[in-house]
Amino acid sequence: MSENTANEQNSIPTSKVERSAKFVKTGFKIGGNYIKHYSKKLFNPELDRSELNEDNATDIYQSLSELKGSALKVAQMLSMDKNLLPQAYVDKFTQSQYNAPPLSGPLIVQTFKKYFGKNPDQIYDKFNIRSTNAASIGQVHQAELNGKKLAVKIQYPGVGDSISSDLKLIKPFAFRMLGMSEKELDIYMREVEERLLEETDYELEVRRSIEFSEACAVLNNVVFPHYYPELSSKRIITMDWLEGKHLREFLATNPSQELRNQIGQALWDFYNFQQHEMRAVHADPHPGNFMITDDGNLGAIDFGCIKVMPDDFYYPFFALTSTDLFDSKEDTIKAFRELEMILPSDTPAQVEFYYTMFKQMIGLFAKPYITDHFDFGQKAFFDELFAFGDKISKMPEFKQARGVKHFIYVNRTNFGLYNILHELKAVVKTDTYKPHVLEEV
Amino acid sequence: MIKARLLNGNFISNQIIMTSTESIQIAYIDFVLTEGEQPKSVYIFAKKNAMPEDEFYRYFGSFDAVEQSIWKDLATKTITEIKIQEVWGQYSAREKALSFFYSFFELLKSNRSFAGYSLKNHARTLGSPKVLEGLREVFENFAQEILNEGIETTEISDRKFFSKRYKDALWIQFGFVLNFWINDGSAGFEKTDEAIEKGVNVTFDLFQRSPIDNLFDYGKFLAKNSGFAEKVKF
Repeated sequence: MSENTANEQNSIPTSKVERSAKFVKTGFKIGGNYIKHYSKKLFNPELDRSELNEDNATDIYQSLSELKGSALKVAQMLSMDKNLLPQAYVDKFTQSQYNAPPLSGPLIVQTFKKYFGKNPDQIYDKFNIRSTNAASIGQVHQAELNGKKLAVKIQYPGVGDSISSDLKLIKPFAFRMLGMSEKELDIYMREVEERLLEETDYELEVRRSIEFSEACAVLNNVVFPHYYPELSSKRIITMDWLEGKHLREFLATNPSQELRNQIGQALWDFYNFQQHEMRAVHADPHPGNFMITDDGNLGAIDFGCIKVMPDDFYYPFFALTSTDLFDSKEDTIKAFRELEMILPSDTPAQVEFYYTMFKQMIGLFAKPYITDHFDFGQKAFFDELFAFGDKISKMPEFKQARGVKHFIYVNRTNFGLYNILHELKAVVKTDTYKPHVLEEV
Repeated sequence: MIKARLLNGNFISNQIIMTSTESIQIAYIDFVLTEGEQPKSVYIFAKKNAMPEDEFYRYFGSFDAVEQSIWKDLATKTITEIKIQEVWGQYSAREKALSFFYSFFELLKSNRSFAGYSLKNHARTLGSPKVLEGLREVFENFAQEILNEGIETTEISDRKFFSKRYKDALWIQFGFVLNFWINDGSAGFEKTDEAIEKGVNVTFDLFQRSPIDNLFDYGKFLAKNSGFAEKVKF
């Protein structure tokens, strides 16, 4: 263990020394946690790994929150995939969705000067130098212009640069935590890197936000802030301030079932409209990205992370969830092969095994699609989902991840969506925007 | 030369109005950046800029003095600029220092070539380069001012002996960032922004009351009460 980390340190260029030192420290700590665990286990063979997982998660979280930026983003992402991670990791990681130390006031002024040549108080009528919220790669400030309340998002400097190096540094820990091999993890890491780098491009985000909010204007009860491209730049986004409550605050007001259904429906429509009509989806469904307005609308903010679904993923995947494809074992296996869930190198026994497991998994996932209404409040469905995820995570056959890279964000999106709907305990009409199916299938 | 000027009366009067500390600074920057070195003599420099040699000496004693004044004026200009910002009053000492750093390097951006030339051609002797002497004076006065404010509001810990050296720590920080910036090739000098944000914050963290103060305090207590400790005996 300590030898591993030492090698790693040597291979990292000096400019990253500060960052890597953090990770190396974590590496030692995790090593220590393992030693602690195994020495305890000597005396108590019954000991399960939950204490160890808890210790590891704390240490990893601590070093991640000190690093901020992309590492924080990875923490957030891992925390979304509850089914992939032991519960202890999840609890620690979910903390990262809410805390990060803020940028100094002068740096904010400096960022404005750099991109607009003016101080914020020369651009807006009012500008609050203290940030109101932290976003993972930036922070949000309140401002006012011509009587309109605005939200101004400012990115931390150097985020783009540090993403790639952070991901490289986090890799060894990801191997250990997820138990994947380097080669396999690489494909996924690249996918994550691509999305993360896109997220640092605020000009792209403004363009997409405008595009998506225009396309989604047909939906009921979904509202978007107005974006101001002329007051936005590579590191700054200006948009209307959405008045409303975050999910947790909203739930604390004990809303009626009717209202919860309305919000849930809006959320369902928002996601399914994008997935099936736009083939590109807001892939960051964590509760902080939504506001519930006082008149019962769902406000969507933050279009930083968009996952475009190519046809060669979309059709085989949604054919599985929305047709009677499952009736034919042969066709199902064919679809699994297209999605690389079953690999050419698999033995007949392995094919059989993965066929059964994945069929069960997708069957579970597709449940809301099968009926025209679905009650996301029912605990049984989620217990089944988590129990299945837990079971898989303990199976040696699933040590190596399977499936094309697109699954990362599509899973994250859909599980994120299910989770929020579950927290809302909403009953949702699920046949509003149905998946499209190729005619010849 | 005198003849030429006498023949053209207009020229003389213009020149007299034009000459100033600033015009000499501008002409000097232009000269060194085009020629890559200091003018061989004040005479050559004055001739090239069509002014009498003594006109130069009215403002500066030497070329090094010109260079010093350029650096110094940048700092003075920075301080004036940041102090008129609306938010200035709300800033803590830490933020005031950060504000100076950011604004200074923003201002320096338009003089980057000169900064590179000036620092390269005045190899560091002991401590900081001589050309930065004037700047150092302005910087330290400013630093002392905000540090005093910080100590007054207890944002910064007032330590015996050390508090007087705080401004030196900031000066070292400044020198570090300046060097970092000279070698920074990142777009928009974003890396320098990071260096400032992290560096100045660390420096101010050290100025704050920390576990070391408590440890020192505890040590002092034990030393004072050692007689008592002996009596207790473990």
